[in-house]
Amino acid sequence: MCGIAGRILGKVGDVGTDLVELMDAQAHRGSDSTGFAVYGIPRETGYVVRAMGFDRAALGKDLEDFQYILKEHGADFIENPRWDNSGAKHYSVRMVITDPRDVARWTHETDTISHRLEVQSLGRSLEIIKDDGDAREVAEKHGVRGMIGTHGLGHARLATESAVRPNASHPFWARPFPDVAIVHNGQITDYYNWRQRLERQGYRFLTQNDSELIAVWVSDQMKQGMTRQEALTHSISQIDGVFTYMIADLNGIGFAKDRFAIKPLATIQQDGAFCAATEEQALRRVYPQGAKIINYDGPAKTGIWGVGELAA
Amino acid sequence: MSNYEIDVGMRHIREVNEEIQEAAKTHHRILVRNTLSRHNLGIGLPKGIDISFDGSVGYYCGGLNTGAIVAVEGDAGWGAGEGMDAGHITIGGYAGMSAGAAMRGGTIHVRGDAGPRIGVAMKGGNIVVEGKIGSQAGFMAHAGKIIALGGADTSCADALWQGEVWVAGEIESLGVDAVVKEPTAEQVAEVDAILEPLGLVDSTRNWRRIISGQRLWYFESRDANAWLMI
Repeated sequence: MCGIAGRILGKVGDVGTDLVELMDAQAHRGSDSTGFAVYGIPRETGYVVRAMGFDRAALGKDLEDFQYILKEHGADFIENPRWDNSGAKHYSVRMVITDPRDVARWTHETDTISHRLEVQSLGRSLEIIKDDGDAREVAEKHGVRGMIGTHGLGHARLATESAVRPNASHPFWARPFPDVAIVHNGQITDYYNWRQRLERQGYRFLTQNDSELIAVWVSDQMKQGMTRQEALTHSISQIDGVFTYMIADLNGIGFAKDRFAIKPLATIQQDGAFCAATEEQALRRVYPQGAKIINYDGPAKTGIWGVGELAA
Repeated sequence: MSNYEIDVGMRHIREVNEEIQEAAKTHHRILVRNTLSRHNLGIGLPKGIDISFDGSVGYYCGGLNTGAIVAVEGDAGWGAGEGMDAGHITIGGYAGMSAGAAMRGGTIHVRGDAGPRIGVAMKGGNIVVEGKIGSQAGFMAHAGKIIALGGADTSCADALWQGEVWVAGEIESLGVDAVVKEPTAEQVAEVDAILEPLGLVDSTRNWRRIISGQRLWYFESRDANAWLMI
């Protein structure tokens, strides 16, 4: 089933708390795992990296190897990495790095240790946090409430196409495109064919999750010259399956919906802010009364909402 | 037999519904406040009550209704009145996807527009939408009437089985095996009889009455390509 959410604030604010509320209200739609993509205040240079290690006992060695590869690409840590102190075997780590000479090449090489330490997001602003459990558990464990920023995405997963693992959770980063993330509600039926085509072009996928495809697919179309709007529209005829997905970058959030229109999207667009969720009742956590609901219930729909561009 | 008020807020919906059922034993009029678009409000309501939801409701409001008069002041989420057997549901605003799904009797009256697949698999009763009905309205409906006064979106009456879809206004496209028939004066009178108690009769309407072409009744898998709609 899955539940998704998107939020754009009129100005920098506590976007983390809003996303946690939106996902807590939709926890019943997917209790396997929960994730958030938070766009903080963008850095001028350097990237924020969020990664997941699979064996806490090897944390020291993992980070040492990560830093070694970083240095090979002319970059280094700006701050000391920080990780969660839970007792779980897997760990989540936040790193801030200087710019590698070539992000795609660096990503490719860093992925040689992805079976130990998997990079889950990279961006001037984007930070992806995901883990097993519901919105409250994940928010508590990773301090999502109180994360400051302009916009973000949320996802609650009910696994259908691949295993329940903390790294198979949404949102997915459009590896290796900085600051691009997606959340998806639905199932993609031809993802394996698309993945193989993209892999032949050099893209890497680190999970068996069908949704990981969408992020890279849309970004690749844009790299080939399409606008975001064109890529979203094109996805409706090119990607087979049931979907309502939202894709975010530094500028805002776009969405597309398949031709059969099974997966809903309810939104509020007012006062320069934007709020979207699978279920209207989730929007009511952020806007308890009054605000007008705009539903995107019909087939083959797209939309783009920009940070700081929404009509007041 | 006085008014009874119920507050929803963040209470557990089962508790709210139990309170509604309990109140229905002794009260005729029930007002449900602070609905916050929550799901499953007022399921399996009994005959003899008049219940209002002050605001918007989530999924399946008024589902399995057995005779209550229900009013939703705002919008309704998916499946309003799903599987209802009798009674009358009025939705003041927009009705989300699949309102009246598999309903068997009674009336649903939507003052605004309606989402996709309204009346999907309905087996009886009537749905009246003052605005526009969404795509695939009446999908596989077996009986009953869907009456839209403000036009229809794409794939109207898709794979309709035996029900009827009546549209005044523009139809963006017809669904598979849907056929437009000129209604007789008797048939228009039947529809006006449904609209009359709602105060919606207008003799100037240019009706399109859509029924099944009955080709899908004898589906052959070798013809499958002809039925691909998307």
